[in-house]
Amino acid sequence: MSAEVMRLDLRLRRRMVLGCAIGIGVYAFLIVALYPAFKDDASLDALSQGSPTLAALFGASGSLTSVEGWLNANLYANFVPLVSLLLTIGYGAAAIAGQDEDGILGLTATLPISRRHILIQKTITLGLLALVVPGTTLACLVAGPNFQLTPDWSSTILTTLGTALLALDFGLLALSVGALTESRGTALGVASTAAAGAYLISSLAPAVNWVHSIRWTSPFYWAVGNDQLTQGLGLGAAAALVIVGGALCTAAAVGFERLDVH
Amino acid sequence: MAPAIVLDGLTKSFGEQRGVCDVSLEVTPGQVFGFLGPNGAGKSTTIRLMLGLYRPTSGTALVLGHDARQAPVELLRRIGYLPGELNLPGRMTGREIVNLFAAARKITDSRLRHELVDRFRLDLDRPVRMLSKGNRQKIGLLLAFQHRPELLVLDEPTSGLDPLLQDEFACLVRDTVAEGRTVFLSSHDLDEVQRLVHQLAIIRDGKVVVTDTVAGLRESSARVLELRFPGHVDPAEFAVQPGVRVRSSDGDRLVLSLAGAVAPVLALAARRGAVDIVARPADLDELFRSYYDDRGGERIHDVG
Repeated sequence: MSAEVMRLDLRLRRRMVLGCAIGIGVYAFLIVALYPAFKDDASLDALSQGSPTLAALFGASGSLTSVEGWLNANLYANFVPLVSLLLTIGYGAAAIAGQDEDGILGLTATLPISRRHILIQKTITLGLLALVVPGTTLACLVAGPNFQLTPDWSSTILTTLGTALLALDFGLLALSVGALTESRGTALGVASTAAAGAYLISSLAPAVNWVHSIRWTSPFYWAVGNDQLTQGLGLGAAAALVIVGGALCTAAAVGFERLDVH
Repeated sequence: MAPAIVLDGLTKSFGEQRGVCDVSLEVTPGQVFGFLGPNGAGKSTTIRLMLGLYRPTSGTALVLGHDARQAPVELLRRIGYLPGELNLPGRMTGREIVNLFAAARKITDSRLRHELVDRFRLDLDRPVRMLSKGNRQKIGLLLAFQHRPELLVLDEPTSGLDPLLQDEFACLVRDTVAEGRTVFLSSHDLDEVQRLVHQLAIIRDGKVVVTDTVAGLRESSARVLELRFPGHVDPAEFAVQPGVRVRSSDGDRLVLSLAGAVAPVLALAARRGAVDIVARPADLDELFRSYYDDRGGERIHDVG
């Protein structure tokens, strides 16, 4: 199978990818490097215990000074998934609906590549983009032992995978909404709103009772909201992320096959 | 030889909006087919249906023997396409784009590409967003021609090209059909059509109103006869002749449009002692404009 659609799309997102990778890389390294300055700061734990709802809104729960708590509160509960989603939702909305609006998809769709293969290439591209931010973060964590920060590596790798799957799912949501509605704006709006809702459910679940009871509906909870840095990504959660991704792929394929390309 | 393109009752509607309705035509292989119509008439919609970019509401489009609805890879490999509104990724250079499309089409022989680059004096090293519309159009033509396709589908191909490059484009099209390949060319430039095409169809308000050869259209269209007499002549005598329309009369001078046989009119003019006659051939520009403006929706002439 040729990979020119992938090459084109990655070329078109090059600056965005580099910007996000550099940005999250610098941020993650700072979080790692600052850990020694905060690891014995009892006031941080007092803050999360005293105002659990406020802390929950920022994705922090439990101890903030343990290795897992520090990484969760500063990276995995908020910035890493959110910046990942920025990349994947942006690309998902642009890959079909956006390129159709820009008039580029018409040229791609008249190349000797079937629509099914075009979609496969776009899904692989989405998968690669979903790995950029979690992968860069993981790479920065490798420096952790030099700063008294040594996470459980298997759990951290699984959380990285979970974050990438989460970003992939929301990117696929944007892709499929774009393919079904032919509208980049609708794709961005629906995927961003769904992501914001899912984030709130997962982050508020530890602090608000009724939200806690529906936390299982949130892909954020499956990927990063259930103490994954300690326990790893559960098989059920991983399966749920994969199944949702598969369903969204199918929806995107149906929409793209029916799409009138301009 | 089987037609390169057969459209049969091709219809596309966009909800309440009109697309194209019951478009039927055939394109002979090895010829240039002109598809004419004013802006918004349905030219690009028909082309997108032919390429499988749009799904038809009804009807069929057979292109090089394939059902365009399926847009099979084998068909797309044999087609070169230039869209009417060409949009290329602005940050990429022409070379990046051309190389990418060449790789997607698995082009191993780059001689034709280099020849086309020279022919169109293409600058491939600047980002596309820095190029003029004409230079972007040249890249679009290169993308359409570089794999030597059997069928070229070109939507408003000379848009933005200067007159010298329009001439170069005309040569390229003539060379292409001389090799037995087929060109389907949409345009609203009547000069371009008269210079290049063998067959043509005119579309207006989503419906084909005429299909013919340029020569056939010229033959079937009215000539202009200007007659002068020694004294006043009654135009009504001429108006009743078959195929005659009186365009103007001014005492001893009469201007007629004549679509039928010329002998009865000449005989009548001779009986009235005509002293001078000027005959002008059919004016295709005028004819096209009449289809664009007045006669849409009515299938006037179809030689298939």
